[in-house]
Amino acid sequence: MKQYNHKKGKSGEEIAESFLIKNGFQILEKNWKNRFGEMDLIATKNNRLHFVEVKLKVGDMFGAPEEMINKRKLIQVMRTAESYLISNKKVQTQFHNTQIDAVCIVLTSTGEVERLDYYENLTADL
Amino acid sequence: MLTKILSASHFGLEITPVDVEVNIFKKGFPGFNIIGLPNKAVEEARERVKTALDNSGVEFPQAKIVVNLAPADIPKEGAGFDLPIAMGILASLEGVKLPDEKTMFFGELSLDGSLRHTKGVFLLAVGAKKLKVKHLFVPKESAYEGSVVEGINVYPVGSVNEIIDHLNGVSVLTPISPKKIKKEKDLTPEFDFSEIIGQGQAKRAMEIAAAGGHNIFMQGPPGSGKTMLSRALAGILPPLTPEESLEVTKVYSVTGNIPPGESLIWQRPFRVAHHTTSRIGLIGGGSNPHPGEISLAHRGVLFLDEFPEFSRSTLEALRQPLEDGKVSITRAAGSVTFPAEFMLVAAANPCPCGYLGDPKRECKCSPRMIVKYNSKLSGPLMDRIDIHINVPTVEIEKLIPQSSKRKEEESSAKILNRVLKAREIQNKRFKNIEGVFTNADMKNKHIKDYCDIKPDALALLKQAVNNYNLSARTYFRLIKISQTIADLADEKSVEQNHVAEALQYRIRVEG
Repeated sequence: MKQYNHKKGKSGEEIAESFLIKNGFQILEKNWKNRFGEMDLIATKNNRLHFVEVKLKVGDMFGAPEEMINKRKLIQVMRTAESYLISNKKVQTQFHNTQIDAVCIVLTSTGEVERLDYYENLTADL
Repeated sequence: MLTKILSASHFGLEITPVDVEVNIFKKGFPGFNIIGLPNKAVEEARERVKTALDNSGVEFPQAKIVVNLAPADIPKEGAGFDLPIAMGILASLEGVKLPDEKTMFFGELSLDGSLRHTKGVFLLAVGAKKLKVKHLFVPKESAYEGSVVEGINVYPVGSVNEIIDHLNGVSVLTPISPKKIKKEKDLTPEFDFSEIIGQGQAKRAMEIAAAGGHNIFMQGPPGSGKTMLSRALAGILPPLTPEESLEVTKVYSVTGNIPPGESLIWQRPFRVAHHTTSRIGLIGGGSNPHPGEISLAHRGVLFLDEFPEFSRSTLEALRQPLEDGKVSITRAAGSVTFPAEFMLVAAANPCPCGYLGDPKRECKCSPRMIVKYNSKLSGPLMDRIDIHINVPTVEIEKLIPQSSKRKEEESSAKILNRVLKAREIQNKRFKNIEGVFTNADMKNKHIKDYCDIKPDALALLKQAVNNYNLSARTYFRLIKISQTIADLADEKSVEQNHVAEALQYRIRVEG
């Protein structure tokens, strides 16, 4: 079961990546990880650094992907983002503005994209 | 889309209108937030509203929902905001059409989409009428409380689906009309006066206390029947008059003491407080002030058994409400006044072991213990109690029935009849003064206008005051008791013998 989840996650990140590239983003990192956690995508656009969390769900059996992103998850993403910036001084000096975004994808049971929503700057509401 | 719904928050015995503003924002990360100083119960409305709407067949929107409870600076309490929030969401989704006239919503939601009994609907209806609200939607089980208020349409709502159908004109709810009130007593008291053998003086004192609403203090050894007498008192209290009933219902509504489906309180309250009751529990209080036992006993009886066992601060806190008939509670959130026109019935032993002054048993207490015990019964407090009686031990011969000698004791029903007559006279006397229903409620200025005291009766009174060094307050209280005794005797003016009887209950013989 866990293995299956992982596989699904992979394809979700691929969908999100192509969506971002299509919208003029440049991808810096994919699945960057350290002991604080994993960052699905790190991208840039207009001299701004975007940390992107990708959530994928198949069908609506288990609720919307948005429900999976709560305050706790956001804090975890923020910590991972900070540790990324600390360990990549070059990136840190290059980009002064950073933000955390989410891409939520719902797939139909046949594997087609039912909807894809891109949410910007989640920590503004925190 | 933004929708504004009118609801209200309770503070003391008043309501404050609250605008529930619901905004559904299709942009941004989905979420559901309530702002405007909600307490925990209001904040948890999020989960209740979400689930209740889902279970009512309404698809909960994936959007950023912000609920603002305005004005923002007063704290909001209670579960009554569930319905207005749900209606706000529905109206924002254009699932319902709100009426054009001023409409108020109030009620707690259950997870299945039905509405639960919510406290405070009676006060809400009273307040809504002042705000010129036309329609009031409340839970079905609480609707009867609001129905007694005239000039406002109170709709009993059973579930979310019912209100959606009503507002969309599919199936219309009809405003509730007041329930027929059954006036007869449905609660038979624990004890009847006919079960109490002997204690003639105490029974007579009880009758006077019930007729005039006077405070009464009983002292006697254990097992002499103090508690039994007090419990039997519940059976000789007259039912509440319509005006009194409205006052009592207000307090009962805000504390949630009105059972589901009931409207007004007709039974005169009889509250019993255990001696471990805290000061706040008795007087009222809390950060958002709540009425205490004395306010729940408004227009009724507060029975404090084992009076000296109460903590000193609790007893002394009774002083001001005993005199004023109301209690003002000031907290950070604001100041609230609750009514507390109650009749105090207190019972105590004469000393810790209980047998001081008993003809047959010896008292085992040291003088120090007795002084300490009686110090709880402070002068200022005892001065506010009109009737003081001793309840001695009943002789064993009287208790064991001897068919030939046994005297038939008077039943509660007979005493109640006399009490009712005396109350009728009082109601006529005080019909022009607001807030005064009994002789005990009279203020000093009323005594001059309403009590006709014969010169010889007045002479006796003056003599007693001089001889026993009675206080000015005691003087006025003596007149009030004399008036009640005269009312019981169905006489127009206060005679000498009425004053003499009143004096007999007033002068406390120590030890």
